[in-house]
Amino acid sequence: MAQGFTISEHTLANGLRVVLSEDHLTPVAAVCLWYDVGSRHEVSGRTGLAHLFEHLMFQGSGQVKGNGHFELVQGAGGSLNGTTSFERTNYFETMPAHQLELALWLEADRMGSLLEALDQESLDNQRAVVKNERRQRYDNVPYGTAFERLTAMAFPDGHPYHHTPIGSMADLDAATLGDAQDFFRTYYAPNNAVLAVVGDIDPEQTLAWVQKYFGSIPGHDGKRPPRDGSTVVRSSEAPLREHVVAEVPSRAVMQAYLLPLDGTRESDAADLALTILGSGESSRLYNRLVRHDRLAVTAGFGLLRLSGAPSLGWLDAKTSGEATVEAVEAAIDQELTRFAAEGPTAKELERAQAQIEREWLDRLDTVSGRADELCRYAVLFGDPKLADTALSRVLDVTAEEIQAVAQKYLTPDNRAVLTYEPGAGAAADEQTADDRTADEDEEVQA
Amino acid sequence: MTIASTMTFHPRPEPGQPTPWNFPAPTRSALPNGLTVLRCDRPGQALVAAELVLDVPLAAEPREQEGVSTILARAFSEGTESLTAEEFAGELERAGANLDAHADHTVLRLSLEVPASRLERGLALMADAVRAPAFPEHEIERLVANRLDEIVHEQANPARRAALAFYSELFDQSDRLSRPRSGSAETVEAIDRAAVTTFYAAHVRPATGTLVVVGDFSGVDFDAVLAATIGRWTGTPGAHVPAAPVRGNDTGRVVIVDRPGSVQTQLLIGRIGPDRHDDTWAAQILGTYCLGGTLTSRLDRVLREEKGYTYGVRAFAQPLRSGADGQGRALLAISGSVDTESTAPALADTWQILRTLAAEGLTDEERDIAVQNLVGVAPLRYETASAVCATLADQVEQELPDNYQAEVYRQLAETTTAAATDAVVAAFPPDRLVAVLVGDASVIAAPLKDLGIGEVTVVSA
Repeated sequence: MAQGFTISEHTLANGLRVVLSEDHLTPVAAVCLWYDVGSRHEVSGRTGLAHLFEHLMFQGSGQVKGNGHFELVQGAGGSLNGTTSFERTNYFETMPAHQLELALWLEADRMGSLLEALDQESLDNQRAVVKNERRQRYDNVPYGTAFERLTAMAFPDGHPYHHTPIGSMADLDAATLGDAQDFFRTYYAPNNAVLAVVGDIDPEQTLAWVQKYFGSIPGHDGKRPPRDGSTVVRSSEAPLREHVVAEVPSRAVMQAYLLPLDGTRESDAADLALTILGSGESSRLYNRLVRHDRLAVTAGFGLLRLSGAPSLGWLDAKTSGEATVEAVEAAIDQELTRFAAEGPTAKELERAQAQIEREWLDRLDTVSGRADELCRYAVLFGDPKLADTALSRVLDVTAEEIQAVAQKYLTPDNRAVLTYEPGAGAAADEQTADDRTADEDEEVQA
Repeated sequence: MTIASTMTFHPRPEPGQPTPWNFPAPTRSALPNGLTVLRCDRPGQALVAAELVLDVPLAAEPREQEGVSTILARAFSEGTESLTAEEFAGELERAGANLDAHADHTVLRLSLEVPASRLERGLALMADAVRAPAFPEHEIERLVANRLDEIVHEQANPARRAALAFYSELFDQSDRLSRPRSGSAETVEAIDRAAVTTFYAAHVRPATGTLVVVGDFSGVDFDAVLAATIGRWTGTPGAHVPAAPVRGNDTGRVVIVDRPGSVQTQLLIGRIGPDRHDDTWAAQILGTYCLGGTLTSRLDRVLREEKGYTYGVRAFAQPLRSGADGQGRALLAISGSVDTESTAPALADTWQILRTLAAEGLTDEERDIAVQNLVGVAPLRYETASAVCATLADQVEQELPDNYQAEVYRQLAETTTAAATDAVVAAFPPDRLVAVLVGDASVIAAPLKDLGIGEVTVVSA
């Protein structure tokens, strides 16, 4: 990749794609398995099933009892988790290098024999856990449902990305053991997955282990492709604006712009545009809204890259003091208009490139980060080696292309808008697009 | 229902030969200006991490201007003698650098992350920030206004609200620990440029500071880079003032912070106990992990994996105002959130788990798995320069020797089941825990009164 790591690719007879990359800096090895299934594959009435199912993958399998997936990995000095997004579900372990074989054995066991262990008790338990995950991360925190609300407007009813991975309480309640079994039989097959192993490994030995443990799992073609989400068809009644009065600490303006699909040169241009406009304390939105006009306490723009639907440009501004939603929206529009008219300055472009380079180095700084990127490019774009050139593709984008993307996409008629006003109402931080099996640890401070 | 599998099963594999790994040892030196430098070479790390640990305790803040340390920390990146605030932010980004600053009870820390190829530029900007800050009046005003905005957001967040109430409840009102680290509305409103510059002049100096730098230095003349950046900082001599002892009132009681309509109750249950200077720290870490370190620990095994009351509950120990004199303590706590209806049952189970632990102790198997995890994950946990740097800076902050973390790993491996049991039982006595619950009092208060875990009081949010 940036540092030129070696990558080798292999495909087993059952269709499992395998990507290996050696790096002997630290005696650790990352195992990452992406299944090409996410919330976009879910059907009406069963939202949240892909993520609920991800939890069930930690409830034992043919040769692994109960919580054994967690116990065995942690007992071997490893760490593990799984996450579900719109487009994929991933499972990952980072192990001390001498425990790599165990992680491969565990992943193979659940890929090949999950249904031997899956029962109603596990389903009911993890359904309750996931509902509490939803409460903790979305329903019980201010602005917690903003992501869900904006996504639902940006991708109108009927679009495969209309609902977010966490799903609705009603659909979680409705999921049956039969649904979970069908889901596994449909999507959990070696030929619908990519396995990456990165770190202090012997590639030949690693491939032999992969062959030994995964090789006998039968592939099948039962997968149902998701509905096409690459275009968004909107009826004239589909809402593009929602105003929420709720128990939130301040007014807020959030916007979601429909941007080019990930993997295109235009999406890299959009990444740079959003970085210049809204990433960091030298960005245009921060300077205008926070520093100069003092309308906002935070103002930022982020990119949610999507490959099967328009990516989302995510703008979030929380007001300062008595500033109004109208004033914040007007300032945002002025900045977007000015940027579309002027394009980036040479200095802005240089800063954005440096920021994106550091973020990329950050992601590649760990073996697990690298394994995840290799899986991403293999699953979504068919070629893990694209990870090697991802940064150079972004750095190759010109100021003119950035300006063109801003002119074309960062416009009022290409966005959904969500505004908040504090007031009596249902109790309503931000969340990410991934829902995961285990919570992350945080410090507790006054 | 059994579904026939067609895969070929193999026995669970045995581990290979482990590769020895040790927590990296830093090299300690001092610059002519008195600044202590800890340097740690990590070949191959493309990102360098640096932490500047300044001897600026929160207890030194004027009572009526609490929060001035936080405003000072944030104001460091609002411009220098040669750069405006906007220019400074732009220069940091141009170097691909990230600079954060955070004021805590014993020290103020600035954290830098920068690509190795731009180390000198990154360090120069961090050095200028502390050496020659501009503290522009209008930017200070904005930081104060933004901090006031932030307080409202903290109050609305259940986890933050629980922490604020917990510290206020556990510590005596005369102790700085009882009050928000970043100040409350009435004290923050009183902060202006003069308050920041006065506080800076009194407390920020190289003589009592330490710079920790971790990364790949193969491409740079490290000493020359230091001399050209942080070495240019000058200041008056100063002496470190030891922190006051930490004391907390752990009379068992329940405080409900009313948050009507909450669909979950946020829990923070704890007290204070031994910190890293205590001989029992490794045993306490081990026992606490067995109690609530992960989703297969005792708490989540019941609360999450059996009952489904929660997405996850954790037990942890977090040092508070630790110093070489051993008068510091750690916050020992259990935290998480449970659905509103399950609040009393979840607390009943929690107390039952603690009582069973005290009565029966940990098993050897639990101890072994915990040691294998805590020691085994070390090479993963310290894969990046920033992780190593943060732990070294923690050691500096808590006045621990440079080989402390390496020593903890050695001790963990030798800690017996009995020692881990003793430590965790001493850490979490069921009758000496303060429970702060942020939730809907109209639903949760009555059932809690029947649990017998202490007097229940309700405060409005």
